[in-house]
Amino acid sequence: MSNETYSSSTRIFKDLLDEIGKVVVGQHEAVEQMMIAILCNSHALVESNPGLAKTLTISTISKALDLKFNRIQCTPDLMPSDITGTYIIEDIGGKKQYRFEPGPVFANIVLADEINRASPKTQSAMLEAMQEKQVTVGNKTYLLDKPFFILATQNPIEMEGTYPLPEAQLDRFLLKILMDYPTFEDENEIVNRYTKNITPSVRSVVSKAEVLELQRLTRDVPIAEDIKIRAIKIVEATRAKNENIEYGASPRASIGIILAAKARALMKGRNYVSKEDIDAMAYPVLRHRVILTFESERKGMTTDQVIADILKNVK
Amino acid sequence: MEDFLDKLQKTRAGFFSRKRLVFFLDLIAIFSILYAIFTIVNLDYLLSKSSIPSSIPINIIPPAIAIIIALITSTLLHKKDKKTNVIRLIENKYPELKERLSTAYDNRDESNIIVDSLKTFVSESMTSVSPSMLLSKGKIISKIMITIIFLAGMAYISLNPQGIQIPQNTLDNMTKTFTGEEQNNTGLTDLTGIPVNVDNSGAKGSGDIFGKPKIASIEGKNIDLTLYTGDNTGTTISDYNPTNNQFIKSAAFPVDVIGSNVSDGGYSMLMAKSETEKQLINQYAVERSKI
Repeated sequence: MSNETYSSSTRIFKDLLDEIGKVVVGQHEAVEQMMIAILCNSHALVESNPGLAKTLTISTISKALDLKFNRIQCTPDLMPSDITGTYIIEDIGGKKQYRFEPGPVFANIVLADEINRASPKTQSAMLEAMQEKQVTVGNKTYLLDKPFFILATQNPIEMEGTYPLPEAQLDRFLLKILMDYPTFEDENEIVNRYTKNITPSVRSVVSKAEVLELQRLTRDVPIAEDIKIRAIKIVEATRAKNENIEYGASPRASIGIILAAKARALMKGRNYVSKEDIDAMAYPVLRHRVILTFESERKGMTTDQVIADILKNVK
Repeated sequence: MEDFLDKLQKTRAGFFSRKRLVFFLDLIAIFSILYAIFTIVNLDYLLSKSSIPSSIPINIIPPAIAIIIALITSTLLHKKDKKTNVIRLIENKYPELKERLSTAYDNRDESNIIVDSLKTFVSESMTSVSPSMLLSKGKIISKIMITIIFLAGMAYISLNPQGIQIPQNTLDNMTKTFTGEEQNNTGLTDLTGIPVNVDNSGAKGSGDIFGKPKIASIEGKNIDLTLYTGDNTGTTISDYNPTNNQFIKSAAFPVDVIGSNVSDGGYSMLMAKSETEKQLINQYAVERSKI
């Protein structure tokens, strides 16, 4: 299986991206990063303005991967049991008994839309599921299906009535993906596709078993020592004295960069991690882990600019 | 197909043997330059005049010094050779191996489908790797040529030193100049720039070493214009020649010293002179002070 999956991995990724491209116009980097998060068996946080096809993108990916997809619209009154599931009383043959009704978190790909609108208690329940890949209701623990991937979204505007995720919880997301407005050509294509009677559809190109195999292969991608050291130095540089950074990234970020770089290398059809992979993945891995100082925020600096500076200076 | 590790080992050995050759070429070139310089400056002669024990043969010292300096210089020039990252060199010369070779090498003990595929690719690509590409033949040949030129130059200078070598008497004069020893007037160029035929008469303590007139003749009368200095002052002349330094009697100024209970530094003698003489002496002193 490994041999077959590996030898056909280049074709798999090409087919997958082509298939997703039938529905999602542009957003290549965001799609690639979502795929990377899935390959790393981790989770991603997406930040974008409304209407940029976050839900469409992730649902399309789940269809192309032949995975079960659930969507949770987070609101302040959303309860933890609304996510994890709860026991219900069921009448079977005149005998009443409790039965566990799994919540939407029991899926392979879960879209937690506007996670910052959920209460901290609900956020915690979801983040626990993310970390442990299991849910405990009452005295019983239920394992979540594999692969398990949560894509949480945040809206950068309309911050009123939201509960911003604490830094410690943000750290659990491998990547923070930014989705930007499409180019004129892409928007023209979007209009052409979605103003006709025929809605673009997607077919499954990868099986669940293949996804799991690809996740395993990701960790097998070798990395050279000096490239590994570069990744660690980049993360270390965020903790070093830097006038723009209030708090730097944790060692989890070092693991994240290397793992994401391995997944990127596999997606690009390479059997080794390149320096280019490390530099490319430093942005989505670090941008939610680095907290800028008030002064740099006042100057209008972004975390991506600070990361770019770090990448330039790390040898 | 040869394993990439064996090929890497061979390439590394080939590269370092070439580096050693370059080291020896540099050593010979530096030695040649130094030995030629030592021959030109006649180091043998200089050493023979120094206080080196006679048990040490003088003629082996210049080549010994040259080889020691050459060895130290070459070692310093090539001190980073051992730290050369051959993998990085190969990757720079062969772009298809960039990052691949170092990754395969760092993961040489690991085995999985991806690492194995990388190792296979690297092993195949390594067949074209040659140490001569890392340290080009052209560079080595040019080094050999330069070394041969220096060697030939050194051989020519050491076999035909006449006309090139600094003469022994020049070296003697230079030595004396540097050591501050007494110079004798051999008629050769005075390296200090002091004119040879200076009037040294009455030199000590007079403050006039270049023979400026000390006796003024006014209306047929000679007047001594010597400025007397105080004790322990004046100019010491290094090229003092006793034959030219005989005391000359002056008719105008008696040599007999008149005893005085109190030394007035020549004031009373000055006061004894006429007003014209005093003015002339004063004018002379003023003029001298301007020089």
